[in-house]
Amino acid sequence: MNPVGIIARLVLTVAAVVAVAAGAAGAATAADAPDGKAVYQATCAACHATGAAGAPKLGDADAWAPRFQAGIDGLYRSAVSGNGSMPAKGGNASLSELAVQAAVNFMVLQVDLKPAASKPTATKSVTAAPAKAAPVASAATSDVSAGKGRSVYQSACGACHGTGAAGAPRLADAAAWAPRLKSGLPALYNSALKGKAAMPAKGGNPALADADVKAAVDYLVAQARGDKAAATTQAVALPEPPPKTASAPTATPPPAPATTPATALPALTVAQAPAVAGPPPAQAVAATPAAVADANAFNRLLRAPGKRNLPPAEDGIHDPTNDGTLALQAPLTAFGPFPKSNAGNRIDWVKALAENRIQPRYDRLDPNAVPALMDLNIVREVKGSMPDVVYPHKQHTEWLDCSNCHPAIFIPQKGANQISMAAILLGQKCGVCHGKVAFPVSECRLCHSKNKTAAAANASAK
Amino acid sequence: MASPRKTCIAHRIAVAALAAAALLALAGSEDARAEYGDVVINNYSDAAGMRPVVFPHWFHRVRYRCKVCHADLGFKFKAGGNEINMVKIIDGQFCGACHNGEVAWSIENCNMCHSANPKTPTQVHESTIGTIVLPAGTSAAPAVRK
Repeated sequence: MNPVGIIARLVLTVAAVVAVAAGAAGAATAADAPDGKAVYQATCAACHATGAAGAPKLGDADAWAPRFQAGIDGLYRSAVSGNGSMPAKGGNASLSELAVQAAVNFMVLQVDLKPAASKPTATKSVTAAPAKAAPVASAATSDVSAGKGRSVYQSACGACHGTGAAGAPRLADAAAWAPRLKSGLPALYNSALKGKAAMPAKGGNPALADADVKAAVDYLVAQARGDKAAATTQAVALPEPPPKTASAPTATPPPAPATTPATALPALTVAQAPAVAGPPPAQAVAATPAAVADANAFNRLLRAPGKRNLPPAEDGIHDPTNDGTLALQAPLTAFGPFPKSNAGNRIDWVKALAENRIQPRYDRLDPNAVPALMDLNIVREVKGSMPDVVYPHKQHTEWLDCSNCHPAIFIPQKGANQISMAAILLGQKCGVCHGKVAFPVSECRLCHSKNKTAAAANASAK
Repeated sequence: MASPRKTCIAHRIAVAALAAAALLALAGSEDARAEYGDVVINNYSDAAGMRPVVFPHWFHRVRYRCKVCHADLGFKFKAGGNEINMVKIIDGQFCGACHNGEVAWSIENCNMCHSANPKTPTQVHESTIGTIVLPAGTSAAPAVRK
């Protein structure tokens, strides 16, 4: 299939659908006509602007091309009902279907046709993601034993198997894979090709070649076995026999059935051969930089976007074998429409309350009880160069009762409370809540928000 | 890690990596990715052969303001500090004030609260104090069984 043709057809369909939708909206009320861009910005951008959870980024032709295979209706379906880690309606259940479709239209129209058009289709076996194939095949850095499977995995499987969406066993999660591995490799191939439970056939990408799907399964299985040792021995074993034909038998990983490399490797050689003309030793050397690259990854100790707000069964605290765990709500299904923040639950709870996104009760039983608000800002001048702290009673009394803080934590008298960041970090004073459940201390400027006047700064410097 | 091309600079990097590893150990297991503010309560559970309790703060604050539990119901601001047991809950104290089949689902759904991995210690998940203060031996987020 020619990607240009697909995209051109899609754009035509979108234009037609937009026209029809506009007509329908005109028949109802003009005010109902949803603005795709606005919907995108409010709901979709969280993932589709950043590529979080494997979402195709706005305007990224490479990422969108495989999705276009499903046609505009397929995209609408995925957006409205959810697909993989994409939640239904982008997690904002209050959106109308029309609004979701408008957002899809907006995103589709942002895809630039030219980059996809200029990409050559590298090999016959890569029909699904022609745009992806070129960079992968030319990148001599990719480990030959994992290259093909990994590239297919990244383009087609990662959305779910990278994040654990829809109960998919995650990459390299030995515990989740163990029961699946028991059923044997042929059964896994079968599940991957034909689909099983939440797993769609070929990972929802019917254009993938069978060999590609199997290569991806091989890759996932190798990762699940923690078979980094096997993978490296494979890479090391390759250079010894120079001719490529001899590499297949030596590359057999010890525990795997004999069929594994036999099916995976021919596809590999086909994909790699034209681009990687160099001798095998180059590939073996390339295997080491991959590990180093991972060690030096940017922000490697921070939680990656796809690993935030995980459902209970995957959060490492809940027991995934417990039936009750599966009945619990997943955070993202609740957080969808909430304003975002950069820390904690990644939700701006104060804003969520102010915008009436949540209506938490102030009384156990009475839904109409309203808090007794106190609107009084306390300014605390701090040492050093940090801006002074402004403590707002208002936002605190929205949630809390006076007795929660006074007098046990804070003596209600000016100058009577010694507060330091050390105490807060140790869970005292503000740290009773901030750093445990209210926004953490990493958000310095939310408290330290009042710039010192020049005179005050000079005085403190003396 | 070790490579024959390592230089003095590389050695320094290795030392930095070790320090980072130590920091990671303090920060707890990278496997635990629970929500900020999830409280694990394991005062009596392990000894009683039950899974420890996970209290999801985020879920409750969508529905209730802090004041309802922390002022009206008397929950102290301390993980594991309330000495809650099932007798008190059945008696309508603490969780039992709502989890009584009238306001919220009742206590026969044992496994919805008692849902943590066994042996998970009492903690506020991702709390500042858990990540930077507790020594490695008493890590707030212990390694989860594989």
